[in-house]
Amino acid sequence: MRLVLKWADDWDRSWTEIMRETHGWIFSLCMLLIPLCFHDGGTVGDLGQLVPKKIGAWRALAEDAVYNRQTLYDYMDGGAEVYLAFDFQRVFARKYAGPGGLELGLDIYDMGSPEEAFGIFSCDRADPAAGIGQESEYGFGLLRFRQGRYFVTITSGSENEESGKAILEIGRIVAAVLGPPGPKPGLLALLPAKDLLSDRTSYFHGNISLNNRYFIASDNILGLDRTTDCAFAEYAPAPGGTGYLLLIRYPDAGRARAAYRSFLSSYLPEAGPDGLGRMENKKWAAASLQDTYLAIVFEAPTPDWAKEIRSSIPFPMK
Amino acid sequence: MNSLITRRHFLKGTAMAVLGASWGFPQEKGANKKSRVILIRHRDVLDADSKINPDILQGMLDEAVMKLCETDSPGKAFQTLVHPGETVGIKTNVWSYLPTPAELEAAIKKRLIEAGVPETQIGLDDHNARTNPLFVKATSLINVRPLRTHYLAGISGCIKNYIMFAESQPAYHPDSCADLGSLFKLPIVQGKTRLNVLCALTPQFHGRGPHHFSRRYVWSYKGLIVGRDPVAVDTIGLRLIMAKRGEVLGPAQALPPVPKHIQLADTRHGIGTSDINAIELIKLGWDEDILV
Repeated sequence: MRLVLKWADDWDRSWTEIMRETHGWIFSLCMLLIPLCFHDGGTVGDLGQLVPKKIGAWRALAEDAVYNRQTLYDYMDGGAEVYLAFDFQRVFARKYAGPGGLELGLDIYDMGSPEEAFGIFSCDRADPAAGIGQESEYGFGLLRFRQGRYFVTITSGSENEESGKAILEIGRIVAAVLGPPGPKPGLLALLPAKDLLSDRTSYFHGNISLNNRYFIASDNILGLDRTTDCAFAEYAPAPGGTGYLLLIRYPDAGRARAAYRSFLSSYLPEAGPDGLGRMENKKWAAASLQDTYLAIVFEAPTPDWAKEIRSSIPFPMK
Repeated sequence: MNSLITRRHFLKGTAMAVLGASWGFPQEKGANKKSRVILIRHRDVLDADSKINPDILQGMLDEAVMKLCETDSPGKAFQTLVHPGETVGIKTNVWSYLPTPAELEAAIKKRLIEAGVPETQIGLDDHNARTNPLFVKATSLINVRPLRTHYLAGISGCIKNYIMFAESQPAYHPDSCADLGSLFKLPIVQGKTRLNVLCALTPQFHGRGPHHFSRRYVWSYKGLIVGRDPVAVDTIGLRLIMAKRGEVLGPAQALPPVPKHIQLADTRHGIGTSDINAIELIKLGWDEDILV
């Protein structure tokens, strides 16, 4: 393994160049072997050894760093709570320096489980897929992807063709060492499929994630915290526009009932027995309760659409 | 007063904006004297590469402070803010992605020196402001930072800039940073802020990525928002951010996460006004795409 890594460190040519030449088979073998050494994802500290410090013309800067839930504030000058709202365990951080003084930042977040990795990935999507890891997106010098229980970002301060190419190359190498893929949260299976924009679905737990995704209220009127599971889905109902479904699973039915009452009194006081109300923008909102689940429809174009999507949720039988 | 803000409040606000009314947090209380806020912009303060023209920036600061203090020279204006011989702390912001421009820090420092503050008695700090001896000794503070969105507080403006004076920053994070206004009551700060400068040369109107920063959400607005009242300054900053978000991201995302701390800095902590009707906004200079 050390020989493989030394070879990678000594590697002076670009990924594509290497793959074209006769040594391509060695690299391919390396990529096959590394996941075997890291089949369960290991710890982020191991990544310092597994991710090459020299990739093409890019070389690791200074020391790698690892931050946990207690020290994340030392690393994130703004943004730590976004991760702490999930089951974030630790992050491995490395910077690469490249031609012309360009720098890339690599962050590998151990989110504790594939479901949590999906969650942090899903809350901030805006770019086209990059074909890296289980799910990815790339745009404007920012690559984001998830693989197993890991969420990865690679960024450049100033984007150009060279740094963009390097970001994607490093991303592919990192994805290959992060072990097997993992499942999405089971809660997503309850989202009605008709008209669903699946690549816009988010999964999270806390109010901070909800408000960054879709602002509802300045107070935590739904009683969200790390024990609640939330799916926020976007729909494209005909003939146009966007409707939203927020599906929340509480640890117990009592908390779900309390949140339902709180939502109606704070946000939808005019709702009738059917939980429907018309908004100031002429669209509709609706809330309904089912055991430990609370479903809220926002921006529904018609009351019928709100009722239809609400009744299409396949709640599990008790 | 119930401080709960919901999306529905802004749906109502959207309807008002369509009719030409203003955004903000209109309140029922009366205001005896309006908080004056200066918004000044200059087309050429940034070049095509966003490089700052320091002379133009100095001129913008001077003009804004003269108007704020109703004087006819920058020297007189700064003399109304600070006294000769005193110690002054310039609370800046060094966030690596969007720091307070060094040219703006220099412009402020230059005028402080001309007003009689010895250079050796001017502190310039961010992370260590709480323990910096010059800040501990300071009898006046100048609060200067860039305008940007914040994932938790809604926006980072002049109110949030004082979080480095807190012994524990996370202690101010609960409830969407609701009580940031109380920072202005800390002994090291209380009653000392003479000027707030919210740098809107290149504001950030939306946050993405691992550190909540992406260049795609920064635009060349080429402005400064200046006032004595940090709450009024941030209220105007919030309006600007919301206008830009509405324009680029659409009405559904006009509101950054939860900007409640601005209103609460007024209604709960009483350190300034967030009432748009009690703010005298004076606009100077370039007005193309001014948004507010």
